Amino acid sequence: MDRRCPLIELATRETALLYLELFIQGLIYGSMYAIIAVGLTLVYGLLRILHVAHAGLFALGGYLGLLLTNATGSLILATPVAAAAVGFVGMIIYRLCYQPILDRPPYVPLIASIGLFIAMEEIYRLIFGPYGLTYVNPPLQSQITILDIHLRTAEVTMVVVSFLLLGVLSYLSQKTRIGVAWRATVDDPEMAASYGVDAVKVRYLNFFIGSGLAAVGGIFVSLLSNLVEPTMGGVPSYKALAIIVLGGLGNVTGTLIASLVLGVIEAFGTIYVGDLLDRDAIAFAFLIFVLMLRPTGLFSER
Amino acid sequence: MKKSLSVLVLVTLVAIAGLWGPANAADTVKIGFHAPLTGFAASDGKSSSEGAKLAVAQINDAGGISGKMLELIIYDDQAKPAQAIPIANKLIGQDKVVVAVSGSYSGPTRSAAGVFQEAKIPYVSAYAIHPDITRAGDYVFRTSFLGDIQGRAGAKLIGENLGKKKVVMITLQNDFGKSLAAGFKESAGRYGIEIINEYEYSMKDRQFGSIVAKVKADQPEALYASGYYFTAGPLVSQLRAAGIDVPIIGQEGYDSQKFIEIAGESAEGVIITTSLDRDSDVPETKEFIREFEKRAGFKTDMVAASSHTAVKVVAEAMKKAGTTDSKAIRDAIAQTNLKVSTGTIQFNKLGECMKAVQVQVVRNGNWHRHSVIDDPELLAPPSE
Repeated sequence: MDRRCPLIELATRETALLYLELFIQGLIYGSMYAIIAVGLTLVYGLLRILHVAHAGLFALGGYLGLLLTNATGSLILATPVAAAAVGFVGMIIYRLCYQPILDRPPYVPLIASIGLFIAMEEIYRLIFGPYGLTYVNPPLQSQITILDIHLRTAEVTMVVVSFLLLGVLSYLSQKTRIGVAWRATVDDPEMAASYGVDAVKVRYLNFFIGSGLAAVGGIFVSLLSNLVEPTMGGVPSYKALAIIVLGGLGNVTGTLIASLVLGVIEAFGTIYVGDLLDRDAIAFAFLIFVLMLRPTGLFSER
Repeated sequence: MKKSLSVLVLVTLVAIAGLWGPANAADTVKIGFHAPLTGFAASDGKSSSEGAKLAVAQINDAGGISGKMLELIIYDDQAKPAQAIPIANKLIGQDKVVVAVSGSYSGPTRSAAGVFQEAKIPYVSAYAIHPDITRAGDYVFRTSFLGDIQGRAGAKLIGENLGKKKVVMITLQNDFGKSLAAGFKESAGRYGIEIINEYEYSMKDRQFGSIVAKVKADQPEALYASGYYFTAGPLVSQLRAAGIDVPIIGQEGYDSQKFIEIAGESAEGVIITTSLDRDSDVPETKEFIREFEKRAGFKTDMVAASSHTAVKVVAEAMKKAGTTDSKAIRDAIAQTNLKVSTGTIQFNKLGECMKAVQVQVVRNGNWHRHSVIDDPELLAPPSE
């Protein structure tokens, strides 16, 4: 068993390369978490709802993306269509599930959300079968080799697209009318409304964008594992919650940084403390550690 | 919201009830069966219940047992131990089954085994691998091999048959992966295998980037990686994508056409230890493979074959006992000597059976025979 001191190992080129590769893997994990968690933190920021069913939309994105890609042969066509469709489903969920209970205590929408998530998993199983679906011709599987590090095109694309989409989102929220309206509504819904901001429109937009992003995340994860299963939302359902708590609930930038930090910690953790703690345990141990030091998360605004 | 929630509950209930189907108990003998039909293990639940249904259909087509038709009572245990106990009680108290078969994982099977033992209802585990299952008592049997034994076979395969000595282990963190790892480590020395490193992952993991990076740095001669097709598929394709081209040895958890579908090209050359030989000349096995595909509409796997085996074993015992008395059926099961799709079943004192380990390899997108490990000393199951 490998029990040498990591610091002595660091001296060799191979080890440096390994650490670099683990770091890159961490960024890949992190960008995957980021694109899922941002939608969740948007919903929390606006409505103070822990939207667990968001992970069900992530899985739906995986299903639609895969089915459309298999049907049309084009991932580039399938991705925006699936994202838009899932965005609409997100709006429908808001309308039918959350809007009628917005005035109830926060645990009421939380319970509804958990119930909805479980139902979604089972609906996927009934419709698409329990075995999971795979791509007929998995796209983006070619390799890119840099410095003896082999990366798949899907991994690189996921990182690039995640950063691009989140960059565009941040630009829109800063520079456009609707973005300003959204931020105003998050800060003070009543004041925003008195200035003529349509809060309902903002909420629908919020669900559309967040759900669409989750769908894109689902499609990328399905490309990485060539598998879409009814339960693929299982891990994101709770890990994304941990991430948005870490990032300071409702804080988009904080969520991004928390995703990347957690991705890197998991990448190293699975190797160096993996026989003590599994991946989820590492994530939650880190969460507990951070909350002990900063009870409001890493980047709390309030 | 109250209304829509209750509608949701209703829809779910109807959906679940639909899976069980109507139970018309005219003049039938009931076999209890539980498997994970929903939740994360639903795919194995589907395979195992299809395998069991095929066995029942074959027996009924051949005239049933002493003129009575067999009826399979299937419950969904979601692969949860806590679900298995009420299910066992229901099968015994309400459905009045005379025997029961587990088409599920070790957790639920261990829980249910105690209940069936207490009620003195014979209970056969189809593919759960935990050693404690048969230790529940003399009414509990197992028609598959234990995890440790398969692990030992894996060590022989790598160290002796393939001649690879530097091995990295990638272990699934559950009782399946752990007992395989224990058996592998126990026998590794005997075949001159040096275990360079061992990494663990959880059932939920599908992204293995960091383990893959470390394995590459370890430069092993072979990999012994435990998992189910839904973890092994992504794992194998990620290992191959990173340029790791050493032999990958898996186990019966890989044993599904779905593994090959997920891993694609990367699946080629992967070798596993299992209990179903796709290229078998044995009529029972050939017939099973053919009939399963015809009935279920998809290619068979180890789980389906194992459940088929277990139901055949209990049905044969009922036929021999000629009565529905559970003590007589138990004694008949203990005396089993039956050739079925996964080999010849004979039980020892503990209710374990010894079967040859089938080594299969992926070639041209299908499972094929690689070799057979048939070493009575290595494969001997515990007898107490």
